[in-house]
Parts: sequence; C-alpha cells; structure tokens
Amino acid sequence: MGRMLHESLPSPSRHPVKALDQRAMQLTAGDQELKAALFRFVDVTPACRSLDDLARHLVGFLSEVDERPAPLEAAIRMSSTRPGRRALGAAAAAGVRHMAHRFIVGESPEAAIGELERLWRSGVGASVDLLGEATVSRSEADRYAERCLDALEVLSAASARWPEQAMLERDSAGPLARANLSVKVTALTPLMRAQAPERGRDDAAERMRPLLRRARDLGAHLHIDSESLDSLETTTEVAFELLAEDEFADGPSAGVVLQAYLRESPEQLERVLDWVRATARRLPLTVRLVKGAYWDHELVEARQQGWESPVFERKADSDLNFEQLTRRVLDARPDVRVAIASHNLRSVAHAIAYNRVQGGDDRDLELQVLRGLGDDLQQALASRGLRVRAYCPVGDLVAGMAYLVRRLLENTANDSFLNEQARGAPLEELLAPPA
Amino acid sequence: MRAFANEPVLELRRAPVRDSLTGALRELDSRLPLRAPVLIGSSEGPDTGVESRDPGAPDRVVAVAGAATLGHVEEAVSAATRGAREWGARSADDRAQVLVAAAERIRARRLELAALQVRECGKPWAEADGDVCEAIDFLEYYARGAVELDRGPALLQVPGERNTMHYAPRRVVAVISPWNFPLAIPMGMVAAALATGNAVVLKPAEQAPGSALALVEALRGAGVPPDVLGLLPGYGEAGEALVRHPGVHVIAFTGSGEVGLSIVRAAAETPEGQGHVKRVVAEMGGKNAVIVDSDADLDEAVPAIISSAFDYAGQKCSAASRVLVHEAVAGALLERIAGAVEVLAVGQAESFATDVPPVIEREAQERVNGYAATGAREGRVVARVERVPAEGFFCAPTVLAGLAPSSSVVTEEIFGPVLAVERVASVEAALDALEASRFALTAGLFSRSPATVAEVSRRAPAGNLYVNRGITGAMVGRQPFGGNRRSGIGAKAGGPDYLLQFVEPRVVTENTMRHGLVVD
Repeated sequence: MGRMLHESLPSPSRHPVKALDQRAMQLTAGDQELKAALFRFVDVTPACRSLDDLARHLVGFLSEVDERPAPLEAAIRMSSTRPGRRALGAAAAAGVRHMAHRFIVGESPEAAIGELERLWRSGVGASVDLLGEATVSRSEADRYAERCLDALEVLSAASARWPEQAMLERDSAGPLARANLSVKVTALTPLMRAQAPERGRDDAAERMRPLLRRARDLGAHLHIDSESLDSLETTTEVAFELLAEDEFADGPSAGVVLQAYLRESPEQLERVLDWVRATARRLPLTVRLVKGAYWDHELVEARQQGWESPVFERKADSDLNFEQLTRRVLDARPDVRVAIASHNLRSVAHAIAYNRVQGGDDRDLELQVLRGLGDDLQQALASRGLRVRAYCPVGDLVAGMAYLVRRLLENTANDSFLNEQARGAPLEELLAPPA
Repeated sequence: MRAFANEPVLELRRAPVRDSLTGALRELDSRLPLRAPVLIGSSEGPDTGVESRDPGAPDRVVAVAGAATLGHVEEAVSAATRGAREWGARSADDRAQVLVAAAERIRARRLELAALQVRECGKPWAEADGDVCEAIDFLEYYARGAVELDRGPALLQVPGERNTMHYAPRRVVAVISPWNFPLAIPMGMVAAALATGNAVVLKPAEQAPGSALALVEALRGAGVPPDVLGLLPGYGEAGEALVRHPGVHVIAFTGSGEVGLSIVRAAAETPEGQGHVKRVVAEMGGKNAVIVDSDADLDEAVPAIISSAFDYAGQKCSAASRVLVHEAVAGALLERIAGAVEVLAVGQAESFATDVPPVIEREAQERVNGYAATGAREGRVVARVERVPAEGFFCAPTVLAGLAPSSSVVTEEIFGPVLAVERVASVEAALDALEASRFALTAGLFSRSPATVAEVSRRAPAGNLYVNRGITGAMVGRQPFGGNRRSGIGAKAGGPDYLLQFVEPRVVTENTMRHGLVVD
C-alpha cells in the first residue's frame, strides 16, 4: 500500500517553489542554532514595527549563530546601513509571507473560499481552523465565537454551490457535511485552568452551544480540536457534556481528537468509546487520530517540573501506538467515524490496508493532512480514490505565526517523517514498522 | 549522596492528585487547632498566647502557640550556646545526613503540610505545594553544599609551609521568618545554619506557628539535638530581644524593609561582654517591575504578568506590582490585562478554582485597600474585580494606570493584588525608572530582541531578572534568589554563596621545615 501511494506522489522537480522550501527545511533541520534563529525571527515578524526593526531582529538572531553560511554573512554586512536594513527587512518580510502563505489558505473565510473550492474540485475536502491570538479575556472569547459563527455561514453558503464529489459526500453511515470547521476550546474561554477544568468547561460550553446549533441548522460539521495536555480534561468534558444534550441528538455532525503521542491515549480512546455507546446521539462521533503537535511543550514542561513525560519520548513508540489506536478505532465503527491524520506514509498506508483487510469500505476511512505539509500526500491519496481532507488554517499572518512556528518545529525535528522523506531516505526505511 | 535535583511539584492537572489534597485537608481539619509550644532544649514552654487563624475564615483557629517571653529568649540562647559546641564538632557529612533525613520526613508529610498552609496562610494549593517542595530543596541543597564547603578552597603552596583554609561555624544563629513562605523560608535559613554547624533559635511569624512547629519536628525527629534547634513562637518583642542578645552571632531575617533595617542597626551594637560583631542576612521587600518592549509576545506577557501580580494575592516578595510598557503596545497590553483581571476568581485558598485568595490579616487588607484608593484618586482604575467574599480578608484585584512616577502606589511595596501599569517611551526609559527605585529584588522583561535582552541584563539592578516568563517561583539551585539595594544584603538563597554567611573563614599556615628538612 505504501509503495502504491509513493508512486502516486508528484515528483519534486515539477514544483520548483516547493523544492525550495524543502531545501530550507532541510537546511534548518540540520543546524539547530540556525533553526532556532530562523524560528525566532519568524515568530517576532508580526510584532516588528518597520523594515528597519525587522532587519535589526533578523541580524540579532543570526549574530548568535556560530557558523553562518555565506548568504547570512552577507545579510549581516548589509544591515550596517539604513538602506541596507530596509532592503534586508523587505526581503525577509517577503520570505516569511511566502512561507506563511504555504500554510495559511486565506486571511478570512471569504478570502479562503477560492482555494477551498479548488481543493474540493480536485477531490480534497477541508476543515477550516481559525487562527488567532491566545484568549485571555471574555471579549476575546466572544470575538472568536463570532468568527466561528461567521465561518460556518460563509463555508455553508459557498460550498452549497460546489459540484457533486461522491467520495467526499457520503459514507456508509450517511451524508457527510461539506462545510467543516475545527474549533479550539481554549479560544472559547479565558478561564482555562488545568487544575480546575470545570471553570473552563462551563464558560466554553456557553459559547460552544450556539456554534453547535448553527452547525446543526446549516448541516455543517464541527470538530473540537485537542491542544496541550493542560486543556485536555476541559476539552473532553465540553465535548461530552454538550454533545450529550438532547437538542444535539440528531446533529450536528461532530468530532474529537485523539493524540497518539500521549501515553494515556489508549485509555482516552476507551473513554471516548464508552461515552459514544452511552449517549443517545444518533450521528456517529468522528474521531480524528493525530500524532500530536505539542510534543516539545509537553516534554520540556515535564522536564522542568520533574514529572514523568506524558508523551512518548521515542518517536517509534508514538508511531507504534498510532497504529494500535488506528486498528482499535477502525474496529469501533460504526459507533464512530474515523479520520486518520498523518503525513507518515507508513501510518497512512497501515490504516488503508487494515481497513481493506478487515473488509471495510474505503469510504469509511477519512485521511487528513495539514495544509502546506501534506499537499503531495493529499494529491496522491485523492488520485487513488481515497477520501482526504486538508486541515486549513485561516487568519492573518500575525495570528498565524505561533501556529506556523509550531508546525515548523514539529516537522523539522530530526526524526520527522517529512524530513526523512525530503532527505531522500530509502522507501524501505520509510515504510518499515516502527522500532 | 546523589546529585541535587529539585523536588517535583504535584501534577495538579490530575484529578486524583487534587482529590488526595482535599483528603489531606479534611484530615487536618479534624485535628485543628494544632498546639505549638515554646520549645527550648528538651523542655516544653507555654502553649498559649498566640493564635493563627484562617485568613479566609477568621473564626477558624488553626494553631494555638506559646508566646515566648524575654526569659525564654535568654534560655533559648543559652541552650543554643551549649548545643552549638557538640553540633559544630560533628563532621559536615554527619550533619548533612541529618538534614537529608529531615527532608525525607517533610516528604512523607507533604500533603498535610501543604494543607496546613492552605489553612494557616490562605495559600492556594499550587503555591502551598511549591513551598513544601522548596523546603525539601533547601535541606537537600545546603546539605550537599556544606559538605562541599567543608573541603575548603585550594591555596597557593610553597616548599616548607602548608596552607589550609577552612570554614568554622559562627555558633548561634537567630532566624526570624515571615508567614508568606511559612515552611520554605524559615527552612532555608535554618538548614543553612545547621548544615554549617551552627545552633539555631527560630522565631517564626506569629501568623504561621503551625508550619514552624512542623519544621522543628522534622529536624529534631531526624536527629538534630534539642539544644541545637529552639522554637520561640510569639510576637515582635521576642524577636527583638533575640536580635539584641549578645550570645547571638548571626541574624538571618526575611521580612519587611522596616524591620530589616532596624535589625541591621541593632546588630551593629557591641555591648559589653559581646566578643564578636554580628552578621546580618536580611532579605527585605521589593517593588518589582515587568518591562514590556514593543516586540513582546503579548500572548505570553499577559498571562505571565497576571500570574506574577495576582497569584497568592500578590503576597510574594518577588511579585510584580509595576508594568513598564512601551507606548507602541501600551493600549493593547492594558486592554488585555484588564480583560484578564476581570475574570479572576477571588475565593478561598482551598478551592482549586480560586485565582486570588485572601490576604493574611485585617491590617494587610486595610493597607492594600488604602493603596488601591490612593491609586484610584491619583490615576485611573483600569480593572477591578468587584465580586469578593464578604467574610475573610479579601481584597479586590486592581489594575491602575495614569499614575505619576512619584505616587506611593508606584514607589512603595504594597504586598497585595494591586498592579500599576505605566507607559514608557522606550526600554531605556524603563531602565531609568528601575534605576530610580530603592528596591531591586526581581524584575521582568518581555522582548524578542537579543540586543535588548543583553542591555537590560547589563543595566537592571534587580537581584533576579526574568526574561520572557513570570517573575516569581525561583527554584533552589536554578535561580539563587535575593535582592540588592534596599531589598536585601545580597546573599542568594538557594545558591552557591549562601552558606558563607553562616561561617567564619580560618586559615592555618604550618611551617613544615625542621632544621633544613622539609617534613611534609
């Protein structure tokens, strides 16, 4: 299965821009100092007030790198004059903007519609994620909820005009929503407190309920994202409590996320399945299985506090757990719908193959990728007639930066699959069982 | 001994961990009030006269303690003078073993001791648990440090002479401790003194005798002889008599600047019969500012500022009480801080949902409210939490802006949940403001420019500067803690130099030449 998918991947030489980005990612992955400098620069870009300011920050970070490639030396020399800094700042801003556009489909839902329709026509669904600043106040939580309502409206109205796409519209359990929005519970409340999950739960629920009603009335899908472990209990309780309410028994279509890097994820999945079987909800809950995007954060926090790490420290252990959870969650159908979200060819191939071996229908397995990182894979999957959905961040560049840096950190880790693949690791290695 | 590592704090995000603490609190409640007598040598003194009460429910008496008299001070110093001889003669290794055993005793009671702080000091669980862990850290850290110090530094040697340097105990140490870190701060001072071979007389804050008793129980239970550690619960007079006693060699104090400076003055006296000059280790107040530059990540700055200013109702000497923000982001920052303060939950320390607990006592409540009123008169109130429980010593978390640099609200230590935000034209101007303050304990900086970080590190006078994080929560061995200027005498608790305050250096030079023959 993995070989078949690999054959369907586009050749990198046909995409000069993509190849360039791949080289940039390879370059930074190989040099931890340079990686740190560039990420810190990307991170601060939105807060810089002028091109001069931008250039000063860039040079500040680069000056901390011990061994600088020639182009970076040239950049530092350029920064010694004011016109030089302006030119350097402009070039750097353009570079960051270019990178950001690779990951962010549009600055608003309206602006994203064109790209989302193009994806749809090429056989790829989308789940929209609204980027924004951290929520620390009620007004910020209200604003995020407003943006979510607006996105549901815009996505539903626009997608109604799209042409029929059989693979994306129906599975054995029934019709699938065209409009699909992912929401973050921590953005819906300023009261997220790890040691008092009920505060965040009760407050977020008040803002989540109108979203569920709107999604239900519009026939859209609402997916409740998972973030760091500190918010997992809050997120889980919001989902369980609201989706069990009578008014949502027939809709909307909804989902939760399971993070395979968490050591406790097998128990978390059992908890989800127990809940699914205990509620009167008629629509199956969608479970999106991911590796998890907060690995560095969880590990560093645990090391600083002297706690046992809540995440697997070896990538192979995460990968192995991912495959075990894949089988467990696929076996749990039709109580749940399944989305397998990974860029790892082996993990994806494993899910497809297991589904087929068990006599499952391809329609009953959704595969998900991240916009900007899984573009090639999504094309390969769609060309094989499989159902694929891209997770598409929407928002302005300022808001997108934190998100971007997190994605870049994750995917330029030395042992990340994409990095291995870009480095040209042999296919047998890429498809080998995790060990 | 294995290498030092900080005691891990409890993982409060886990429900079973929270349940275990709630259980410990119920168990403690069933035993209240605790009894904390005056302890001198093997004898127990009076056990009435001082009461500690729950600041969130003042009807609840947490501990009843003895009130030490001047006579007790006399007896306690005599006992300590006797005890110091035998204790000081023991090897550093032996003493270190006793301290490590005491750490184990604290560890075994950690849930109960955290619960005691929740009740006795209105300290929320996360901070109470952190305090117990820090007490353990001090025992483990100074035990190892004293063994290391005992080896003595290397000196230059030439043929025919042998030069050695060693550190001898100063003998009797008076420890005068505050209520806000009721176990960790006294434990730090006591453990440093004991590890280096001194005897200790501890005079804890009258608001927290229960925690002080637990400290003495752990150390005595682990093998510290009764004469070597005395406990004098009580009021200021006992502390003052202790400070003035000619038998005391070192005074280790943490508390207000006013008391600290009076100790420095009193310790300078050398009455007839006192054959030494007293050494003072004083850790005093702060007026700690966080600088926010225009390139700061406000998503990180806002939660860090809120937590630094309002956790434990601002009753940490390291707490943030000023923000100096670059004018380019001042509007955005102020709006977000105001919004984040409006949702703070003011409530009982025992509730895991509480953000801001009560302050320690009525006098503190009145003082804090006074500053808030002054700030409202002289500037403007940006945010204020109006929903505050009526019973208990609660204060409304308040954010003020538009105050003149000379306002008492921005120059004096408030020690409560009041934060003043000031707009500055540049980081330079913020540094000038720090320069103008007589305090220099902690400071914070939010900036993503390496050049700015370097410049502020160079210029900020604070004893502890925190960059792109909160400014409280110093960890033993990681952030040696202590202030400069009028905030402290410069000793760093939990750092490599601290023990030197409790010893006197001695150098021995021996002639190893006998009639032309070198015999060493």
